[in-house]
Amino acid sequence: MASRLIYPLYQMGNPQLRIFRPPFFLTLVRPGKEQPPDVVQFRIPMVMTKFDVRNYVEKIYNVPVGAVRTRIQYAQPLVIGTNKKRNHLNQKVKRPDYKVAYVQLAQQQTFEFPDIFPKKDVKSAEGSVEEMQEKFMEDEEQRQKPDPRRGGVTEWFGL
Amino acid sequence: MAATSAGRVLTLCRQFQNAFRISTTLSAQQSTVTLTKGRSYPHRLPSTLLSSSWSCNLDLAVQCRPLHTTISRRGLEEFFDIPENWGEATVKSGAPWTAKQLRTKSNEDLHKLWYVLLKEKNMLLTIEQESKRQGQQMPSPERLKKIDRSIRRLDTVVKERENALRLLQTGQERARPGDWRKDVFGRIYWYRFREHALPWYMNRRYKRKRFYTPAFVAPHLRLRLEKYLRAKTRKQKKESENQAVLKEKFPQMQAKSQ
Repeated sequence: MASRLIYPLYQMGNPQLRIFRPPFFLTLVRPGKEQPPDVVQFRIPMVMTKFDVRNYVEKIYNVPVGAVRTRIQYAQPLVIGTNKKRNHLNQKVKRPDYKVAYVQLAQQQTFEFPDIFPKKDVKSAEGSVEEMQEKFMEDEEQRQKPDPRRGGVTEWFGL
Repeated sequence: MAATSAGRVLTLCRQFQNAFRISTTLSAQQSTVTLTKGRSYPHRLPSTLLSSSWSCNLDLAVQCRPLHTTISRRGLEEFFDIPENWGEATVKSGAPWTAKQLRTKSNEDLHKLWYVLLKEKNMLLTIEQESKRQGQQMPSPERLKKIDRSIRRLDTVVKERENALRLLQTGQERARPGDWRKDVFGRIYWYRFREHALPWYMNRRYKRKRFYTPAFVAPHLRLRLEKYLRAKTRKQKKESENQAVLKEKFPQMQAKSQ
């Protein structure tokens, strides 16, 4: 199938509809509210159903799926309560709504959303611009620090 | 399986794809299995293809190399990048697939590649959303554009092939049947048919949509035609005047070729 899918009409007795090359993309998100350990939260396209999500995850990712629950999330504007947001062309804008799916894993599997942005000590390359900048910043910080011989006492008062 | 510590580069980038083909003399479509080194998504299909080809191959005097392809069992980890890339500022990735390269691939390869690209895009979308959530910069956001382009080009190539097949087999130019029809405003447009459960004369919503121009629209049609012709002549006149002015300034200039 392609980007613009047209589903054929279903009447009783028709063969099961199959979609080859599904144009649907799932986004795994960190849950906003606390979820049970076996629940994985996805943002899915509006046209997908619970059955679609189950088949998608089972067939493409080989993950056993127990239950799937979905809901549609209305995209709130930045200032909740107003809908007066307009762009530079004075057109009314609204953020797109999205569907959220809560997929419960089968076979007592658990999933914890990992930390994808751990702090890494990055050493800049020797003689590069970044290294010089970092050195300069370190020197500046050193200059701004109060005299260590005063032992933490402020310099507001004399002596 | 080859070491997974090699970057994701290898799946996407054609230049780094050191594909080694295991081919038998049986038949071209059945036997070519392309495997990529390093990061790969071996699906069940290659192993089943291979097993069938190996079993009937024993009689032939062809050198068979037994090969085992492990099925990727990483599950939900595939929604994230490899752990070595977590926290990096940039992640190396290769060039997107071009339509020319994709046209050389077989239908099975394209089918598999679609799922490879799909999973990659899911991974990138996950990272993007998480980066927005954490207030961090997403490493190498250009990967999303590359994947989008690859997917679009793959779609184009598959459409081309389907079009060609349909033309050869049935002679139909379009996949979806349609017709030239007039709308209420007197404009002629290509109406694409939809599937209905009822015949058209029983479909109330369809009958409300008028595919003819009412009589009172006729004066408006004439006015619209006049407006269009006036605009056309205006444009042509302006163009010829412009040419005349330029010719005066630059007598050696060649006339603009249409």
